[in-house]
Amino acid sequence: MSELKPTNHKADLLLEAVADGHVAEVLAMESVAGCSTTFDPGWEVDPFGGVASLCQPMEADLYGCSDPCWWPAQVPDTMSTYPNWDAGKPSAAGDWRDLDSVFPKK
Amino acid sequence: MSRPRIRSAFLSCVSAACAALAVSVGAISLAVAGDLIVTGAKPDRLFVIDAATRTVRAEHRIPGANGLVSVILISPDQKIAYVLVDRMERVVGIDLANGREVFRADLSTPEERIKSFMSMTLTPDGRELIVYELPTRLLPAEYVVEEPRFAVYRTNAGLAAKPYRSFPAPRRVHMLLMRPNGQSFYAIGFDLHEYDLKSGKLIETRGIQKWALADHGQPDLLAFWPVTEPTGVWTSPVYSELKKGAETVPMTALMSLDVKSGELTYADFEPLSALIFSTVLSPDRKHAYGVYTTLSSIDVEGHRLEKRVPLDHTFYAVNLSSDGREIFTGGTECDVGFYDAATLDKKAVLKLPGCADQSVATLRVIHER
Repeated sequence: MSELKPTNHKADLLLEAVADGHVAEVLAMESVAGCSTTFDPGWEVDPFGGVASLCQPMEADLYGCSDPCWWPAQVPDTMSTYPNWDAGKPSAAGDWRDLDSVFPKK
Repeated sequence: MSRPRIRSAFLSCVSAACAALAVSVGAISLAVAGDLIVTGAKPDRLFVIDAATRTVRAEHRIPGANGLVSVILISPDQKIAYVLVDRMERVVGIDLANGREVFRADLSTPEERIKSFMSMTLTPDGRELIVYELPTRLLPAEYVVEEPRFAVYRTNAGLAAKPYRSFPAPRRVHMLLMRPNGQSFYAIGFDLHEYDLKSGKLIETRGIQKWALADHGQPDLLAFWPVTEPTGVWTSPVYSELKKGAETVPMTALMSLDVKSGELTYADFEPLSALIFSTVLSPDRKHAYGVYTTLSSIDVEGHRLEKRVPLDHTFYAVNLSSDGREIFTGGTECDVGFYDAATLDKKAVLKLPGCADQSVATLRVIHER
């Protein structure tokens, strides 16, 4: 935190709270939602910076990502947020046309 | 599984496709007893496959799976499969012979949502199930993240099982492996922890993220396939950067953990040229086989890639026949592949009835007794 400079009043208050020891520990998202524990590339780009080493076909990886909430920004999270996204669609390769986009509830 | 048990397995077949296999299974029972593959598929299926005849011997329904079949543990007597299901909030025990539900543990309560991220293990006597729990207290205006814990269940607790004890666990654990002596177990995540089962005390932590491999950067590990058959050794690919002078070279290593001796090794076997999700070690411990979009054979003693062939599609999970001669590929889509371990030639593909995705299901192999 010493390398960060507050740019508004709220950030000032946060620094004061840190100095006073009043800020709760920030816990990994995993413990809330079971969501991604990795920062690897993997959905749009592979570790080589291309696409040749992505899962093939994409459908082979789709439920492997939605079930364990692996790429929650790219694939609906069926673990907690969209549990019924794949209901009645047990085959990603066969049912992909019926898998809808999802939008956060307002 | 004895022949009467095999016959009774058909009583639980739930699809026409499975029922249709009954004719061929009469011949199966006359065949030499061999390996059975156990896998799961959406939304609630558990399959028992005869590896020798490449046929589905039984298709069981897992009550309350709710669309997810993930980690599969086999009891030491090979009669029960314990499966993590229902958004990772429920463990169900299924009798492999007849499909009967013999155990159920609902992890969550109305006040507390509990997920187990792919992490559970059985004691060698099959009497206790240890589940890694990530609890979150659900309050009207906020979620309170609570401390993770290991919950211990008695496997004879029936269909409303509750943990009879628990003890603190570290964060960021993705897999548990019981040691054969039953006194301790490994919790694998960012690091490798060993816990005393009776006292719940941490015995030792060995680095994965904080490993001390000379000239290597921080490793990356994807580990939630708790497969130790047929050797009692769990293996996994590990990726890291090797410093060579002013340059760094991405390398793939094989991580190996002997759950009996506790020996932990890492050894680079190639500059990173293809991804591997999971691996399995041959019975003679001389070869390891890894899958993703390719099937790789690794010379364990020579620390080199032996051969690599393309697969029909991405597979997450891999296992071996008990004699080490045949490789089985699974996870992801609805097929199980059979490959020659010596040549990596494809020998057969079995489409599962209903062609539902295996997703992140574990691929297990048991040997008929």
